[in-house]
Amino acid sequence: MTEAALKTLIEITAGVTLAVPVGRLDFEASTGFQQAIEQAIAGAGASAVVVDCAQLEYVSSAGLRVFLIGARAAKQANVRFSVCGLVEAVRRVFVVSGFDKLIVEHPDRAAALAALQ
Amino acid sequence: MIGLVEELVLLAIEDDGAIAHTAGSVGFGMSLIGAALVELSNRGRIDADLDSLRVMSREPTDHPVLDRVLQLLVIEETLTVEQWVLRLASETPELVRLALKSLVGRGVLEQTESRFLWVLRSRRYPVIDGREQKEAKLRILSTLLGEDLPTPHDTVLLGLARAGGLLEAFLTSAEIARLEGRMEQVSGIDLFVRGVESAIREDQVERARAMMLPMY
Repeated sequence: MTEAALKTLIEITAGVTLAVPVGRLDFEASTGFQQAIEQAIAGAGASAVVVDCAQLEYVSSAGLRVFLIGARAAKQANVRFSVCGLVEAVRRVFVVSGFDKLIVEHPDRAAALAALQ
Repeated sequence: MIGLVEELVLLAIEDDGAIAHTAGSVGFGMSLIGAALVELSNRGRIDADLDSLRVMSREPTDHPVLDRVLQLLVIEETLTVEQWVLRLASETPELVRLALKSLVGRGVLEQTESRFLWVLRSRRYPVIDGREQKEAKLRILSTLLGEDLPTPHDTVLLGLARAGGLLEAFLTSAEIARLEGRMEQVSGIDLFVRGVESAIREDQVERARAMMLPMY
């Protein structure tokens, strides 16, 4: 059995749920990532979800769709949703697709958490 | 429930069943190819990034347009989405024919034939009850007029309809101009749609360049 290309770690810091994808987010990994994001949004008392992408190496078209699904679900649940720490390759996908116009982005985790205080 | 390919074709059908002139444009054809690529991606047959399109499975989908496009995605070299859209553009008439046949087969459209000036044959595709066509228009309008973030399906539908020149069929120029800001924000948030838009621009540049060439 091969190791999953993406793991998503969930951390809770100062009332903020952090989702930390580690690896490559492509079609095969997108279902698992979507479940993790949906659970983070639905998590008890979550008022804000930050996806810390510092360890996300790659995102494909299918992976990008999960970010849109997550941002939409968060807005509908009245949960603030943002991303931080985008590496250059992932940032390029966000910019070219236009997703950067829809979502709040911070340079790193500290900036994302500070913005939520 | 119909898919993106059929939704785009329905948006190109006029009230009297005639196919809008936009359906003959390069932009419409490339948007239709984009719709097929998005649906293939949703079904796990392909995936893409900024550098390449990857075929993950050649298992047929039982959808005539998608299976035709999947068959054409023969990977002999690494091509971007834009390059694939440009390469497949010549297949548009066949893809439209397959989509119309599928819609007639599903009872969404009917096919009628008449004679124009007693000689020229004219084929029309009147919409049977109009529900699917209205739904596609409503999805686009609610994306444009609402404040929510769009679903992946709706942002793609809007983006491809916009790229294919289909919005003009049910929005006035003034309405399109008024909604331009929202459109820029929520239209086509997808790498396949961006590939279609780049392919259309590239095609326009090539055509302009060809027109500038000296005639001798």
